Formats: sequence, structure tokens, C-alpha cells
Amino acid sequence: MRTFALLAAIFPLMTLGAEIHSGHASAELLVSSSTFQSSSPVQAAIRLKVDEGWHTYWINPGEGGMKLGAEWVLPEGWSASPLGWPVPIRFKTGDLPGFGYVGEVVIPVTLTPPASATKAATLAVKLDWLTCDDKACISGDAAPSVELKPGPVDATPSAPIIKKSQALVPRPLDGLKLEVSDQGKSLLLKLTAPAGIDPSSLSSFPATAQIVDASAAVVFAKSDGNWTALVPKSEYLEGPPKALELVLSGGGLTHPAIVSWSKK
Amino acid sequence: MKQLFFSAFAGLVALASVHAAEVGAPAPAFTAKDANGKEVSLAALKGKVVVLEWNNFGCPFVVKHYGPGNMQKLQETYTGKGVVWLTVNSANETSGAYLAPAAALEQTAKNSWKGSHYLIDSTGTVGKAYGAKTTPHMFVISKEGVLVYNGALDSKATTKSEDITSSDNYVAKALDATLAGKPVATGKTEPYGCGVKY
Repeated sequence: MRTFALLAAIFPLMTLGAEIHSGHASAELLVSSSTFQSSSPVQAAIRLKVDEGWHTYWINPGEGGMKLGAEWVLPEGWSASPLGWPVPIRFKTGDLPGFGYVGEVVIPVTLTPPASATKAATLAVKLDWLTCDDKACISGDAAPSVELKPGPVDATPSAPIIKKSQALVPRPLDGLKLEVSDQGKSLLLKLTAPAGIDPSSLSSFPATAQIVDASAAVVFAKSDGNWTALVPKSEYLEGPPKALELVLSGGGLTHPAIVSWSKK
Repeated sequence: MKQLFFSAFAGLVALASVHAAEVGAPAPAFTAKDANGKEVSLAALKGKVVVLEWNNFGCPFVVKHYGPGNMQKLQETYTGKGVVWLTVNSANETSGAYLAPAAALEQTAKNSWKGSHYLIDSTGTVGKAYGAKTTPHMFVISKEGVLVYNGALDSKATTKSEDITSSDNYVAKALDATLAGKPVATGKTEPYGCGVKY
């Protein structure tokens, strides 16, 4: 937190944003335009560059670890969309299974000004994250900011990076359906997929924490005409599962997908 | 389920896979040396409520609680009520988190640690018997020697000290209940923190 105050003191007049290194990653707030128009959403992204040899965490961090914390500091009337988390990778930190990212991760977000916004606006986000390797975990924090002036769209060099990151955010897909049934110590996942998708070669990640054992691979196989995966429950699941979101990639998908189930 | 398998060879303990000690079952027995070289055995503590706290002073989740004195306050409060508070370091000797006895004494003094014993478990025997995953990872054992809590210190899995006041402290609640002879409402939660460096 002291870091935030310090950064604010060092970079009071910054308009274009810059990378701020803390712990074992650098953070930056990207915007696709250096200007904004009232009520018109501004495409933005948080870019984290994780130092080589370290990893950071997804929305479901697995065991141990911690997802990126983001608290927006926006002028009155502005709003921020939920973060668009890209598909993670699996890793182990010592014995602990986790989900997250190595290298560069770009997390898109939409920032919307109110109808009344006519003055230059400083958009900032207080970030805190954890990076780990097998030997240690180090936290980092930064409060990158950008200043936008009112006016017609003036694309920045970040615009294509943000656009590309938006295309990598999992989204629902017509014809994709998940059902979950409780089998005692395991969960039976049944996936219905549209034509052209091969569920047996999908990479699947549980976005909902504490439902599926984080160390278990979620692999679909055909049985009795259905695509199913039997996965061990998380030892932290109490009672029957109520909801599960899976993020899927590969398997013939042209775009990462998210499929949700909730108990009726 | 996963179980502990003890090999009979030359006193070596082969841990095929590890499962957290079960809440409601007798807490696994252990004997370990503290930073002063004193042997501490769980069996000898029967009749007392015991806390196990897995520790690595360098981990940001541990710093979250030691920085503002949250962990020390819990240690002071509950040892004042007769609780035996065992802080355990299961880091392997090759890990940066390992503390030799002298370094452990230095670190506990520097952090104003107020537990009863700082156990050095560099073989990981105690940690694996309990399935300790993270630092911190907390366990509460009743006067009867039954494990009544296994999990996180509190409800907010972050590294930010300012989250402490708005968190639900599971360990304090488990200790209050156990000391009052009542059942623990929340006996198991997911621990959060850095991995134990076995």
C-alpha cells in the first residue's frame, strides 16, 4: 500500500501509462484510445509480465496461490466490467496443483464513462498479485494509471494488443452444455458439444474453485454415446456441488469457450 | 482415499501419498525438537488444547499476519488460556525457508513470536502426517487429542494485512468453542498461503 502512495508521488503526470515492476512481475494499464466520449465504453487491459521462472495465478488459483486482485479507482460515474481472464495453464508449485500464467498475460476490461463525463479522466487500478516458483512466493503490487482526454477516438499502439486479448477470453458457445452429477467421492461431468468439436482433445479447467480436485485432469471420453469425465471432488467441497464453470480450449474450438452448470 | 504408508525399511518413512489428518479423528502422534533442542511430544500434551501453525517467516501470507501482530496476538491470547501453541517449520534443509535452531531463535525473536514451541521439522514428518500444505496452515487439537480444526487461519485468502479485520477468524472460533467444551462449527476449510517447502 505504501507502494501505491509512492508511485502516485513519482508518476503524478503520467498520461500514457508505463510498466511498473514489483515483486516478480511488471504491471501496466493499456487503453485502446487516448481519448474517450461520454457513455462510450473504452477498451482497456491489464498487462502483467511475469519474470522468467515465476508464475502467477488464475481466477481459480488451485491450492495455495492467489488470484490477481484489482480494485479500480475511477472518476465518479465511471464503471469497470469484470476482468476477461484468458485460458490458464496448469502447474505445480512444490506439491500444490495450481492454475495460472507464465510470461505475459493480458486481461481485457471495458471502462465506461457516464453520460456527463466531459473532463479529462484519470483511470487507475490498484493491483496486487502473487508470483511463486518452487522455492518461494513473492507478492507484488502496483497502481498503474492512464489519463484520457475527451474527444474522438485516437487509437494507441495498444489497441491491437487489447483486441487480440479480447479474442482470447473464453465465452459461451451455442450447443455446448455441461451437466454434473454427484457420485460420492467423484463428480461425473457430461458434456454436450456442437458438431466439429472433439471433447476428448479439449483442455478443461475448472473456473469455480473448491468443486473439482485441482490436481485432477478433466478428460472427456465417450461412453454410451455421451462425452463424460469422472473427476475427484475437491476435499473442500461441502455437500453436493451447486455450480461449476469449465473453461475449454483446443479440441477443434475456434475460440476458447466457457460452459456453466448450476443445480436446478 | 489416500493413505499414509510406512515402509519397514531402516526406519525410512515412505510417503506414497498424503492426506490431511481427518477432523473428528485422533490427531496424528508426533515428537519433534524445538528451536531450543527440547523434545515436544503430542502425547505428553494430552489434557491441553494444542494449536499447530505451519510457518515460513519469508512467505507473504505469513508476513500478512505477523506484520501487524495478528498471529502474535492470537498466540498470546490463547496461550494465556492454557493453549499450547506449536509453530512448525517443515522446510527441507535445502530450502531457503529452512531455519536451523539458532536462526529459528533469531527469527522468532525478530518477529516477536509468542507461541509455546517453534518446532523444526526439516524431514517433513510432522507436516506430512498432518497433510500441511501451506504457510500458514492451522490445526486445532482438543484436550482429548482429537483434531477439531484443519484449514486456513481466516476467511480471506489474500496477502493484505488490511483484510484481517474484515475476515472471519476460523482458528479463534475453533479455539473458543473447544475451550468451552463445545463442538467446532467450521472444522475444515481450504488453507491458503505459500506451499510448505518439503
